[in-house]
Amino acid sequence: MESFFVRYRNLLVLLAILLAQIIGLAMQVRRTDSGRNSLDPQDAPGVRLLRLWADTVVMPPEKAFHATRLGAVSLWQNYIDLRHIHEQNQDLQKTIDRLRLEQASLLEDAKQGERLQALMDFQQKYIYKTQAAQAIGTSGSDSSRVFYIDKGADYKLERDMAVITPDGIVGKVRDVFPHSAQVLAINDQTSGAGVILETTRIRGILRGNAVGRPQIVGILKDDRIQPGEKVLTAGGDLIFPRGLPVGMVEKVVPDPDRDSFVDVIVTPAAHLNRLDEVLVITSTEPRFPAEQQQDMATSEMLKGAQAAAIAEASREQKKASEVMAERLPGLTDPNAPAQTPAVGTAPGNAQPGQSATPAAAAPPPVPKLLHPQHPDRFTVGTGSPQSGQTSAPAGQEKKPTPKTGLKPESKPESKSGQKANPQPAHAGGNTQP
Amino acid sequence: MSLLGADYRRDMGVHSYPVLVYALTPLAALVLQAWLPRLVLGYTWFDLPLVVTVYFALARRNPIQGTLMGAGMGLFEDALTHHAIGVNGIAKTVAGFLAGSVGVRIDVENHTIRTMVTFLLSLLSSVIYFSIYRVLLGLNLEWSWLAELMKAVVNALIAMVLFPLLDRTRVRD
Repeated sequence: MESFFVRYRNLLVLLAILLAQIIGLAMQVRRTDSGRNSLDPQDAPGVRLLRLWADTVVMPPEKAFHATRLGAVSLWQNYIDLRHIHEQNQDLQKTIDRLRLEQASLLEDAKQGERLQALMDFQQKYIYKTQAAQAIGTSGSDSSRVFYIDKGADYKLERDMAVITPDGIVGKVRDVFPHSAQVLAINDQTSGAGVILETTRIRGILRGNAVGRPQIVGILKDDRIQPGEKVLTAGGDLIFPRGLPVGMVEKVVPDPDRDSFVDVIVTPAAHLNRLDEVLVITSTEPRFPAEQQQDMATSEMLKGAQAAAIAEASREQKKASEVMAERLPGLTDPNAPAQTPAVGTAPGNAQPGQSATPAAAAPPPVPKLLHPQHPDRFTVGTGSPQSGQTSAPAGQEKKPTPKTGLKPESKPESKSGQKANPQPAHAGGNTQP
Repeated sequence: MSLLGADYRRDMGVHSYPVLVYALTPLAALVLQAWLPRLVLGYTWFDLPLVVTVYFALARRNPIQGTLMGAGMGLFEDALTHHAIGVNGIAKTVAGFLAGSVGVRIDVENHTIRTMVTFLLSLLSSVIYFSIYRVLLGLNLEWSWLAELMKAVVNALIAMVLFPLLDRTRVRD
């Protein structure tokens, strides 16, 4: 027996190590409801411990390498006496980067405003609280497009925070260590970001392919998708804010698995292979600078004054419409007396001087319908005397009374049943005293 | 550091190295593997941990040492990715074992043979990695064989340069 172990010692050691690793692998994979295997999105404590050890071992030398490289570069740049120009250039570059971010957000808001949504979403600006970080290392494997940044839990970074550059989105925080964090880039095969094509408004999911190129998958064939179209974040994944640049459509290729679908290869806006500084969006609460807050307050104030002016104008307009309604010939008799007699005063007793009664004291004018030129039995106001309507005026031809007993050419009445005007109506439609 | 007697090592052609070389070379390979892609536009068409594993397995002519070193390097690489830990570990375990086994039978002083062994084991490591991912774990992973072929070629080129440099650190009996 001893000779067996001695003879096959090498193989036994190999098998033992392989078996241990296979068991470890089996514990990291789970079967989903759809029957497919997938890795646990959250690492088990043991796995996380291994990753933490690896990070602890690798990160200090990497930071040292990175700092050495930066120091060498900085020394070289300062040596040729370009320090102030370099600093100024950096400041300008930062300003440009910030303005580009703001421009991107404003552009998207402007487009949304064209679709009549900008007013409601005015405060959803893409100016969020960010944390700058340096990319210091990668996974070292082309099948795992992750990289490491030099900020971690000490800067309150959390899992699933978006990582961007002023050029475009980069990825999301996948794991956070005490002094570093692992970022899953958008060109990894397991990443996923909700994106939208700028002009065609087609939505899809962005992920990487085998060679590390971002592509939008699961899109139905559409001839409108053309190379050069911009790709933006859709904002539906609750990680990337809406409207951030993602890249540009490079080409459209057929989906190898599904006939009616295509994959859209995207040229990323951010230089994923040349990342130095990135921004981690640590809070999605809008954060406006003091000047902008002052501008917004002024805008709100002006908006309030404008609203008051609009309300005043609306009231004036309403008053004018009421005046206009009173003067409409179809509703009131323009030749009717200017003033309605006071209550209790007979019309015949009305004196000319009484017409100067204040309008506020007088009851509201009763609209009086004019006589039609050729009334028939369907004319409004025709009715039988039993119904309280007056008879036709003298001198007009009396037509046969229909079965309803309504008399044509009877005088119109107001809705309240009061006689609107005791004078007969003539063919011209005008009333005479 | 010498685990074996000087006469045995001389007879078998087993080389030994200072402790610092044993400790720092794998660590440097892991750190550079993680750091260098940032300088070369993200291309990871090389696998320094595999090259170092193959070198020490060939030089030590010991399958167990090659197995252990391959497992350690592979697990460390896996820990730096976001994939399951063990995929690279198994691939490099097998590569280290085979390199240690082959080292007993071939002339490890010949640069061409060592380069060829590195090339072949690099390809084999990629095949094992892909097979574990697709077959054993049943996960979906797209693959580019051209990239893997390029990686094997680059690994062989690195081996051509690195192996003679590491040979200079051998302990002379």
